[in-house]
Amino acid sequence: MNTQLRRTFYLFSFGFVLLVGVMAYWQVYAREDLTNHPSNGLQSRRSQETPRGLIFAGDGETVLARSERAGGNEYERIYPEGEVFANIVGYWSNRFGASGIEIGQNNNLSGTGEPETLDELLNQFSGGPETGNNVTLTLDPELQRAAYEQLAQSNTGRGAVAAFDPETGETLALATYPSYDPNVIVEEGFEEISNEPDNPLLDRATQGLYPPGSTFKVVTAAAALQAGVLPTDRFTDDGTYETPGYSFGNYRGKKYGEVTFAEALVFSINTVFAQIAVDRVGPERLATMAREFGFGEDYEDYPLYVAPSDLGLPPEEWAQGNTAPISFGQDRVVSNVFEMGLVASAIANDGDMMQPRLVREVRSSDGIILDRPTPRTLNEVLPTETARTLNDMMQGVVEDGELLAAQIEGVEVAGKTGTAENPQGQPHSWFISFAPAEDPEIAIAVMVENGGIINENGEAETPALTIAGNLMRTYLDRPAPAPPSQQPANPPGIPGGGVGGGQPDQLSQPATPPQPAAPTPVDPFAPFRNAAPQQQQPVQPAQPPASQQQPFQPVPRRSGAGRMRAKLQL
Amino acid sequence: MAIALLITTLGFATLIFVQEAKSPPLIYGAYYAGTMVALYLGVRIWLPHADALLLAVVTLLTGVGLVMIYRLTFDVPGVENLATTQAGWILVGSAALVLTMLFFKNYHRLFNYKYLLAAVAVGLIASTIFFGYEVNGAQLWLRVGPVNFQPSEFARIALIIFFAGYLADTRDLLAATSRTILGVQIPALKYFGPVGLVWAASLGLLVFEKDLGSSLLFFAVPLLMLYVATGRIAYVILGTLLFSVGAFATYLLFDHVQVRVSAWLDPWSQPDTGGFQIIQSLFSIADGGITGTGIGEGFSQAIPEVETDFIFSAIASELGLLGSTALLLAFLVFVYRGIKISLLAADDASKLLAFGLTAMFALQTLIIVGGVTKAIPLTGITLPFVSYGGSSVVGNFVLTALLLLVSESAGRRVAEEAPDEVMEGQAA
Repeated sequence: MNTQLRRTFYLFSFGFVLLVGVMAYWQVYAREDLTNHPSNGLQSRRSQETPRGLIFAGDGETVLARSERAGGNEYERIYPEGEVFANIVGYWSNRFGASGIEIGQNNNLSGTGEPETLDELLNQFSGGPETGNNVTLTLDPELQRAAYEQLAQSNTGRGAVAAFDPETGETLALATYPSYDPNVIVEEGFEEISNEPDNPLLDRATQGLYPPGSTFKVVTAAAALQAGVLPTDRFTDDGTYETPGYSFGNYRGKKYGEVTFAEALVFSINTVFAQIAVDRVGPERLATMAREFGFGEDYEDYPLYVAPSDLGLPPEEWAQGNTAPISFGQDRVVSNVFEMGLVASAIANDGDMMQPRLVREVRSSDGIILDRPTPRTLNEVLPTETARTLNDMMQGVVEDGELLAAQIEGVEVAGKTGTAENPQGQPHSWFISFAPAEDPEIAIAVMVENGGIINENGEAETPALTIAGNLMRTYLDRPAPAPPSQQPANPPGIPGGGVGGGQPDQLSQPATPPQPAAPTPVDPFAPFRNAAPQQQQPVQPAQPPASQQQPFQPVPRRSGAGRMRAKLQL
Repeated sequence: MAIALLITTLGFATLIFVQEAKSPPLIYGAYYAGTMVALYLGVRIWLPHADALLLAVVTLLTGVGLVMIYRLTFDVPGVENLATTQAGWILVGSAALVLTMLFFKNYHRLFNYKYLLAAVAVGLIASTIFFGYEVNGAQLWLRVGPVNFQPSEFARIALIIFFAGYLADTRDLLAATSRTILGVQIPALKYFGPVGLVWAASLGLLVFEKDLGSSLLFFAVPLLMLYVATGRIAYVILGTLLFSVGAFATYLLFDHVQVRVSAWLDPWSQPDTGGFQIIQSLFSIADGGITGTGIGEGFSQAIPEVETDFIFSAIASELGLLGSTALLLAFLVFVYRGIKISLLAADDASKLLAFGLTAMFALQTLIIVGGVTKAIPLTGITLPFVSYGGSSVVGNFVLTALLLLVSESAGRRVAEEAPDEVMEGQAA
């Protein structure tokens, strides 16, 4: 009898061991699969019951997002700065998914990433609360607010601003108008906001793509300088530029006669740029230069989605009729404020484009620095000499072109205007600039959607120029130069791109792709499918325009390179 | 003994630590702790030769159970007081344990009433058909005055006593038979009949009442007892074959069995209906990982019936692989001591009684833990001592009392023999 007793005991023991094995299977081996299972709502419940980290502006004081206990164990997200920072900070909603830094830095903010301090490790083991890490952005809150207000007061009330520190690549401001209140999104206002006519969920600074118009001439000019064109080289403008089947003219149909290359930039002479692009540079070198400046780049290390700028056709397929308008940023060229800000930045920084950054540092909830990315060169776009030359030429645009609205007392400003034609109506008003020109502290790009309203004299308004000037004065804390006399902010003949004289015949129409003054969502869910962790039904409002559909990767891949990680706590 | 005390202390430490953290009515914790300590001391004095380690394990298990029940229900409107109720049941169980020890100190008397007990057991099971009411699709509950109870919890123990008594009397006859059918030795119907009859009656009734978990227990425990009594593996094989046929038949006959099996085979295709409970259980278990989320940090409240059948999932979620393994080890310690008591017991009836009780305890644990971890199809039974449930707790305390009584007589025998051995040794 005792033998049988022992045997059954072995049987029971075996059963218990088997159960431990089963437990190990579920809790260790199959754990990840179960955690990520679409029916598993535990993670999103956990995210509601853990306070997320704070998001600060660059001053380290302005709170952009915080978690507040909403009753019970749950927390709700508060955005004290509301609409002004919404396009950057984004929102974190249990029903509508997440966007912006909230999703881009979710690993840090949610505290569900790998433990990085001893405290976090202990908390993870003891099951204590894993409070999210705090993220400090590079934004200058004052500049951001000013940019938002300036855009709000612009003539069409639609536009964007991007400002960078050229030496470090830090994003100083990234404003878009109209914007939305993330507090309302979180409180179920998503539908209403996403149905508003001006598409406030679209970040016009990074996601809207617009023809850059004459601001693109700095890219063409860089390619020309590299191709051996000197600023003093002389060209003749007879008012039109003929290509087989097309002819292009200048702003307001002007004729300049014999001008230097530098003057062609100052007066934004389309025909001269067309000549240079076709005869001296060629499609291949122009396209290469644009790519060097970041066209086609999605800046995947940047925590926000950036729609890649595009030249349209591959350069092999450019006919003269393409190359010519491309040289002044028309044809199918599209870009965004973010990209054009970086173009200005790279020229300002002696030709080196710095990795654009938005996150200054990440600290654990008890203040230990976990991550502080260091400035890193993204691309050496131009040799120093060429960049300096281009810098001088752009100073000439502001000074010789008498762009009073952009001038600053005692500071040299470099810049380039643009008035970009588009199929949606009035031209977009552009301005890119940096200052102080000899040692730039800020590079800025401004675009006012359909802001280049043309008056009865054929002159276009230049709201972007005014905004950029005001913002740079705000940032550098300098006044405008005393106006010598009442002069229109827009001296005749200076700004402008392809307006007037352009598009002489019907053939050029199909060459212009429908551009997104208000891009229509194609599949609003596509960008965020499978990309928002812990959200069962993510909804992502902002979408790249139809012509620019790319898989959305909102979570930045950490490259590790150029990042100083303070790991000494472990 | 040191180990026993250590485990007891550990149980209390866990309990008290968490209770302070969650500020429950501490007075109940004190009652509980006092009861268990008193019980422990009482058994030490009353039954000095009994295996008091069993009580330490019981303390640990009920303690963990109380903590988890409190944690799972204290903020759920309608059942806030479940832990207090459970503490009350533990008190009742302790009383039942003491009473059992007092009245049946000479438990051999029980074997004299084995037929009566069997009849009572079958009667209890049958009673729910006429007087019971339905909970969760199974009619298993009896209402006696203000108290609802599940008679099958007590019927089990009665049946085990019956089987132990009967098999002890007839084991030689059952084993030594010469008749064979199809090469399998079949005992005379005369000897096997009563066992088979009671077995079939109880089983049939339970299947009829849709109590799948109990059916499984009632099937397996007597089979194992038969094996232990006769030493004939043929019974086990035959029984397993019968089980397969029976299981298949019930699968075909009963919709609810089909639902259970399909939820076991592929819960993922029906995450919101049949598979919901098991999937939520697995999510919770997986959420625990190796170290667990920590008590109070898990989300196992999402599982329906978490405080009873699925309490193991909650424990696995909040204490992790380490905690759940420790708990399983505690069960195994109980089983080990039970088998040891059985090994040391003097007579066949005591051996079979101790074994039957232990086997039931072990199988119940294996079946429900296997069920909530999707190792076997889910059948709704409680995790002994841990799950919420008055009948279950009281029944298991009675079970423990009987084990203690058997161990007392075994221990006394060993203690009496030991000096003899020493003297023999000296003589040699």
